[in-house]
Amino acid sequence: MVTKRRAARPPEAYLPLPPATFHILLALADGELHGYAIMKGVAARSEGTVRLGPGTLYGSLKRLLEAGLVEEGGERVDPERGDERRRYYRLTPLGLSVARAEARRLDAMVRAARRKKLIGVRPA
Amino acid sequence: MSAECIYRLLLRAYPPDFRAEYGREMVLLFRDQCRESDVRTVGFWATVLCDVARSAPALRVEAWRERGRDNTRTMEVLMKLAAMLTVLVGAFGVLNVMVEWGAALTGTIGGMHALALVLGVFASALLLGAGAAILRPTQRGRQAARLALLASLVMIVAARLLFPWMSVFSQLVGIGFPVAILIALHWPHRVSPSGAV
Repeated sequence: MVTKRRAARPPEAYLPLPPATFHILLALADGELHGYAIMKGVAARSEGTVRLGPGTLYGSLKRLLEAGLVEEGGERVDPERGDERRRYYRLTPLGLSVARAEARRLDAMVRAARRKKLIGVRPA
Repeated sequence: MSAECIYRLLLRAYPPDFRAEYGREMVLLFRDQCRESDVRTVGFWATVLCDVARSAPALRVEAWRERGRDNTRTMEVLMKLAAMLTVLVGAFGVLNVMVEWGAALTGTIGGMHALALVLGVFASALLLGAGAAILRPTQRGRQAARLALLASLVMIVAARLLFPWMSVFSQLVGIGFPVAILIALHWPHRVSPSGAV
């Protein structure tokens, strides 16, 4: 199991996160997942609007591993799929803090948009 | 040719290190996608190509930057070693001229010879100072080292002109060494970029 980490930076230093990265962190907030489960989770949560291909997904995971936001959780067979061994990934405490900070940032933006009546009102 | 074979060919667009680390996982994921989609449609392959075209160049650039950072780190280590060697050569030069001065004092010493020895002492002291300046990893330190090396070079050349019997070894070390370090100091030094996710 290889986990590459950089020197610890405050969670706010990683913001804003690219949408694909935030989706991956959100998916991993449920627990350890392998690549395909992350991809399915992202597609389901975004109602099909965000579809991560293998290149985008593993490129993002590589960066997240290097930044220390995600770590590898070993390789095992998915009991549901029952085929080859798959590598599992999970959030680190720093990854969880960064996901929370990004969620707070987005929440503040949504509240600002609501105050300006950009959302939350029925169109005329 | 099966869809998986085509995808394995497309994987060559990614950097070798990335392929070695994630290639198997990516093929597994692609296999899963194939099970759930119709691989004979244009839309499926357009999505696959779009994913490769979007992610592979970015990862290639990252790998290239990473290599650049490694080269810079190697160069920094080499410069530290060169700086220590410069300090040693400078100290050895000062001692050598002192010994020569002592030997010359037992006989008759000409004015030109004495001036050449004084220049030799200063050149060696400057070399020592240049080594100490290179060990400071700042732009100012490098600038001071360059000036000290140039001054040392000028003094050794002047000493050689005043005292033509200077040994070949002294000429090689006194002229060749500062020139080599000056060339090394002109090597480009990149600043490590901060990690982005």
